[in-house]
Amino acid sequence: MNFGTIDWVLTIAYLLASVALGIWARRYVENLAGYMVAGRKVKISLGIATFVATELGTVTYVYYGELGYVAGFSGFIIGILAMIAYTLVGRTGFIIENLRRLRVMTIPEFYELRYSRRIRLLGGIILFLGGVLNMGIFLKFDGIFLSEVMGFGPGALAVIMTIMVVIVVVYTILGGMFSIVITDFMQFVVLAFGMLVATIAVLIRVDLGSISAAVSNTLGAAGVDPFANPRFGWTFVLWIFVSSLAAGALWQPGASKALASESPKVAKKVFFWTGLTFAGRAMIPMFWGVAALAFFGPGLSSAAAMPRLLGAIVPPGFLGLLVAGMLAASMSTYSAYLLAWSSVLTRDVIACARPEDFPEKTTVAITRFVAGVIGAFLLVFGLWYRIPDTAFQYLYVTGAMYTSGALGCVAAGMYWRKANNVGAYASLIMGAAAPLGFLLLEKSREVLPAWLSFITDVNIAGILSFVLAALGMIVGSLASQRNSPPKQLTYLE
Amino acid sequence: MSSGALFWLLVFGLAALVFFGIALVVTIRGVSDLRDFLGK
Repeated sequence: MNFGTIDWVLTIAYLLASVALGIWARRYVENLAGYMVAGRKVKISLGIATFVATELGTVTYVYYGELGYVAGFSGFIIGILAMIAYTLVGRTGFIIENLRRLRVMTIPEFYELRYSRRIRLLGGIILFLGGVLNMGIFLKFDGIFLSEVMGFGPGALAVIMTIMVVIVVVYTILGGMFSIVITDFMQFVVLAFGMLVATIAVLIRVDLGSISAAVSNTLGAAGVDPFANPRFGWTFVLWIFVSSLAAGALWQPGASKALASESPKVAKKVFFWTGLTFAGRAMIPMFWGVAALAFFGPGLSSAAAMPRLLGAIVPPGFLGLLVAGMLAASMSTYSAYLLAWSSVLTRDVIACARPEDFPEKTTVAITRFVAGVIGAFLLVFGLWYRIPDTAFQYLYVTGAMYTSGALGCVAAGMYWRKANNVGAYASLIMGAAAPLGFLLLEKSREVLPAWLSFITDVNIAGILSFVLAALGMIVGSLASQRNSPPKQLTYLE
Repeated sequence: MSSGALFWLLVFGLAALVFFGIALVVTIRGVSDLRDFLGK
């Protein structure tokens, strides 16, 4: 264990700076738009920083590092797919440009504008459930990372994690999106520096020849060819591309960065430039994972191998920077997710169960309370849930519960005049069915009849959710045009 | 080194360069954006 006094000083200083900055930012919150979308005045560079910081958590490093360790270079394809999907969204403005023009604050708000309040309620419930389940495992992976890097047991770690979550909950509750944007910028700088430190340490200590040899000896062709690797293949590639496209445009924590942008044009640029960083976002931690395979050999716990490597090779002093970087990455992700899911539960579920919205002050108060409850849930859920398959696939499949139906509803709602309420209901429900089936049945695959076993294949469940959601929208809408005439949109900007 | 590994290492190098390059530019320009953001 290399973690020494200087590392502690750096880590604690960083945590204190985050608290101070996050709490200080609350003075800028004047109304609901200030709290949820930072008054819609985020410019390009700040938008990129906050977007990258949101999409990069310690959990991201761990699941990508895990993939690098078990799949070698094959997993690098994910970075390329994500980069293409996000830059495509940025270049074309697919969905995000129109969402920004409509001045919505959450994605389900669109459902009410284009369909009905009840669809907003259903979409809000699915988004909230998918989002919170997705976020539930973050802490567990943060714990794995920190215990391997810092060398502590579960007791000390629980204390560190709790302190971190409390800090994030406090500043998110107080300052909303303003606190998030300001702290994200600092966290972006710290996490990028931490990643640079880790990458340089890996390049110095593990030579590229031994990495190539380890992949070749352990994994053979499956280590360099994603289509020869049984974990991936064409189904996986197709699913991840469609999923990245949908998540790029519709995942509330990320999309809120477009909704907080100064203009629709700025939102597109933020997505394009952030998209370009997505290849590195995936490949850098995967490279650390592949290096762990070369350094330790196979046989370690897949999630622990990469953090163990960093704990072993990064020198004292720099280790503190690395841990601060990882905490920065986690905190920026938690804060954006907390605000996203608390906004959705308040505005799209609780308020939508009533005939009219709450007044602005009540909405902010409920959102703050819900953010606190989600923070408590995170601590509990993160400790007991057993994660199926690799974390990467768990995250994508819980995300697909929402993104598949949302892609059907929002894309069709914007670009297809015949999309109607029946199609929207069918799309949301059918899109959530396959991932939900996977989550419920995956643990009892031995007792399933043979014809149903396909649902326990995470890649098939993922791609099926998008196919079902699209079918639901098309068939449902076409079959009910007379009974449920489509509603059209009016853009504000 | 195998050609497959060499290919992915080159792709990784390029991706890392783009990531850290954008991070550097965003850090420098973000300070002025942040000033505007807090100034309005």
